[in-house]
Amino acid sequence: MLIDCDIHVGYETLTDLLPYLDPPTRELVINSGTNGLAMPSYPWNHPTGWFRHDVYERGSGHDANFAYMSLDTLRERHLDTYDVTLGVVEPDEAAAFSVIPNAQLATRLCSAYNDWLLEQWLQEEPRLRGMIVVPAQHPQAAAREIRRLGARDEFVGVFLPGGSRIPYGNPVYDPLWEAANELSLPVAVHTHFESVGIAASVTAAGMPDYYAEYHTLCGSGMYGHLVSILCHGIFERFPDTRVAMVEGGLVPFVGFLWRLDTNWRACRSEIPWCKRRPSEYVWEHVRFATQPLESPDDPEQLLAAIEFLRPSDTLMYASDFPHWDFDEPEQTLRQLPAEWRDNVRWRNAQDFFRLPALAAA
Amino acid sequence: MTGAVREARLPRRDAPSEGAVRMIEIGGHRIGLYCVSGNFYALADRCPHRGAPICAGMITTPVETDGREITLGPRQSIVRCPWHKWEFEIATGRSLVDARLRVRRYAVHVDEEHVVVTLDQPD
Repeated sequence: MLIDCDIHVGYETLTDLLPYLDPPTRELVINSGTNGLAMPSYPWNHPTGWFRHDVYERGSGHDANFAYMSLDTLRERHLDTYDVTLGVVEPDEAAAFSVIPNAQLATRLCSAYNDWLLEQWLQEEPRLRGMIVVPAQHPQAAAREIRRLGARDEFVGVFLPGGSRIPYGNPVYDPLWEAANELSLPVAVHTHFESVGIAASVTAAGMPDYYAEYHTLCGSGMYGHLVSILCHGIFERFPDTRVAMVEGGLVPFVGFLWRLDTNWRACRSEIPWCKRRPSEYVWEHVRFATQPLESPDDPEQLLAAIEFLRPSDTLMYASDFPHWDFDEPEQTLRQLPAEWRDNVRWRNAQDFFRLPALAAA
Repeated sequence: MTGAVREARLPRRDAPSEGAVRMIEIGGHRIGLYCVSGNFYALADRCPHRGAPICAGMITTPVETDGREITLGPRQSIVRCPWHKWEFEIATGRSLVDARLRVRRYAVHVDEEHVVVTLDQPD
């Protein structure tokens, strides 16, 4: 049994979504700019390519930022190769819908993408489950999209990118949390598009110069979101809420949680709705995806560094396939103590995504 | 033979009023005497977190919530450590942010003319 919490799929170009869009939005996709509507993207480029070269399938006329990979390739190179029982699909370029300034357009693109994902991938491959892509800059519309699709078995959660205008604990997002809570759907915050579009800078230091810097720091948005979610008492107000931190690393969260616990003790009167030590909410409500697993020369140092996260209960395996920093399942699990492996391999994810059918599989 | 000093007797007029602390010393132990809701309490002048002189901390009112409304709790019923701002309930010595921690307390009783603090533990 293996659950992979982070597999990326994407359309080849935005025009793939045309059949799923309303006529006025189709016109915008076709006629905007010079060659049609373009999504904002990173100011940095990976120097040797975003994708694993062995799965890159460039289509004719393709000039999108993200490479296209077919469902057959996903099956052949990943699902079959590693005997993946279930893979949770996260977006590629569609994550950028949340960082474009036009919230109404973002809303329509999100709905079209989700319908495309459902028809082209999730209904075609029973080993895949989707995360609902929502317009984070328009929380009321995000809530509507969650309610539109959230009861479907093909979708198992809500996707939010790390890049955002406002941290996700802020009360402007209450409609989104309320909808997710109502449907008992977990929310995955996944590093994506920091410093892009309307999203804040990846760090307060300013813009990094190199992709290597960006990719080292890209979890910063996620750390900000988790601290915001904890300080705003999201888990008190929406008690069925679960949050996954995907692709933000593990070790940095330890330091931030220690620091937040200390600050909470001193500043409790400022945030009385945070009734317990913030880290106590984490053990019940938050899970961490393994990829990219930090790799010190001495693997024992990693285990010591993440012990505070209660990793046997909070880690969920993620590959990030087909991206360049893909983590192969057995290599990941081999770095963890044997007694954690079944939990990390599938059990924690099954509990988190509430997949009762999988237990019998 | 005289035994070690184990109590301090303050004339009632010298006892602290609500929201104030009166520092006393008994056998080398520095102790803060407080008054909350008409009752006297004595706390050791040592924060269990990092050893700060907690009795130099502000006497204040806790912020509480039932999840919806934010309210104030019993008036001037907590002391906030001057170093790291952790809050402790004066009546019990208990930390509001870490159930494992408690300021050491001493017994206080009141007779007709004095407030008496001893090195005994309170009931």
